[in-house]
Amino acid sequence: MKVDKMPLPPAQTELRATEVGLTSAAEQHRAYVQADLLIIPLIVMLFMGIFSFHFALLVGDWDYWVDWRDRRWWPLVTPLALTVLPGVFGYLLWEKLRLPLGASLTILCLTLAAWISRYLNFHLFADFPMNFVWPSTYIGLGLIIDCLLLLTRSFFWTGLFGGFAFGLLVYPLNWPLLAPFQVPVELHGTMLTVADLMGYEYIRTAIPEYVRIIEESTLRTFGEAVTPLTAVFAGFLNIMNYWFWLWIGYLGSKAIWIRKIV
Amino acid sequence: MNTIDTLPSSNAYAAPRAPWARMFLVLSGLLSVYTAYRIYQHTTAFTVGLDYFSEDFQKYWMTLLYIQLPVLFALGAGIVGWIWHTRDRNLDRLAPAEELRRYFVLLGQLMVFGIIAYLTASPVTEADAAWHQVTVRDTDFTPTHIMLFYFGIPVFITGAVVAFVYARTRLPQFAKRLSLPFALVVAGPVMIMPNVGFNEWGHTFFYAEELFAAPIHWGFVLLGWATFAAGGLLVQILSRIVELTKVAGSHPVIEAMQGPEGKQVTRRNESVKAEPAVAA
Repeated sequence: MKVDKMPLPPAQTELRATEVGLTSAAEQHRAYVQADLLIIPLIVMLFMGIFSFHFALLVGDWDYWVDWRDRRWWPLVTPLALTVLPGVFGYLLWEKLRLPLGASLTILCLTLAAWISRYLNFHLFADFPMNFVWPSTYIGLGLIIDCLLLLTRSFFWTGLFGGFAFGLLVYPLNWPLLAPFQVPVELHGTMLTVADLMGYEYIRTAIPEYVRIIEESTLRTFGEAVTPLTAVFAGFLNIMNYWFWLWIGYLGSKAIWIRKIV
Repeated sequence: MNTIDTLPSSNAYAAPRAPWARMFLVLSGLLSVYTAYRIYQHTTAFTVGLDYFSEDFQKYWMTLLYIQLPVLFALGAGIVGWIWHTRDRNLDRLAPAEELRRYFVLLGQLMVFGIIAYLTASPVTEADAAWHQVTVRDTDFTPTHIMLFYFGIPVFITGAVVAFVYARTRLPQFAKRLSLPFALVVAGPVMIMPNVGFNEWGHTFFYAEELFAAPIHWGFVLLGWATFAAGGLLVQILSRIVELTKVAGSHPVIEAMQGPEGKQVTRRNESVKAEPAVAA
């Protein structure tokens, strides 16, 4: 839309070079490009670092080892910890910049950092085979959250449907990758999975029992109902979890100035 | 109306540029040191880094620890001291173009901080996770701890403090008041060091295992969450950059309604003149 320019006195209408930083639209464009070139890598690096650190210390072993991806804790712990950064930075990116990228971008950054670390540290440094320490895939969960946010433009509906789906789908999303490791084998008269057998072969000295079957209790006799039950429970919990971290994101994105600390 | 030529000489106008060359120089130096350290760790951790009581361990790892700590402390104190010593004492007369340039410098420093954060929090931290699963340790000063806790974290702290002190001494809005988000982003890395003390004390006392998701490690998570305040800091920085990138000689309201094609475009060092009004 074009409008008539009002012939107001220059002193009232024009921004002076002593008051603003730039003298032309071309310079303004260059300044924006420079800001983008600084801020975008900064955000990506921070997401890679923060998410990797947070995920390592809250999910850690459940994602490091293929035999730890059990039916009780892995599908429950993972979405609860994985939702944190999509919630916090999803709020920032959507509310302040109108970018529905928070979940996809943070999870993509985590995935990239995880692959680099698993290869450099767990494979090259500590000599574990890659098919024992590959990272799970979660990018699809981020896409669901962001697509729902874009379509509904509502944190409420995104949390209700996206948060639920986020918890529900961790296991099915990874099933094609995980299935070969769940094939049963017999060792000395005991039935194990391939993943369990790998856990026996590659002893991890910092696990309390050194070697053990990760699934405990009566879980192994419960049959097929355990996985969907855990997934649905994780989905319900994750609805509130997503909303909670959105609120933390709201607090974190406040531009608060104070006069002094004490 | 003021033109660029009429600006005081101390505020001579220059189009703001981010310090790309210096930033890449710093980044190259940092990446070289991290890479060299990692190669050293990879080569010696499993050969001379397994037995704390061996002569080799003392020679190859404890010597490195004793050298790197004072060097990092002196380097950090020196950089922060230099930034403080050369602080701008006339911030009330700072030209907008210079202020904008300083925001680019601050963003450059934060980007360096971000890269340090990634390197320290991901590959260096998880090297420790992998190490613990193939060894039984007899010391707090393992090869991975020496790189993580006594090199990576101090560099991480230095990066955060340098950016914070730069903003406090060179940018008016950060000098007049204290940015709570910025303070939190700096406090997180700083408070990791006391938590390292708690963590190691706990491992020697009541929790020998090294499961990474164990409760004894959750203090680190909480401090990592301090970086969630980076959003608030970004809002503070971007809000000011938007103010500083308005174009001289234009009316902000009408310009915003016209879109970019309606703006006057002038070259650097030319006087800025108001355009005549044009009807749609």
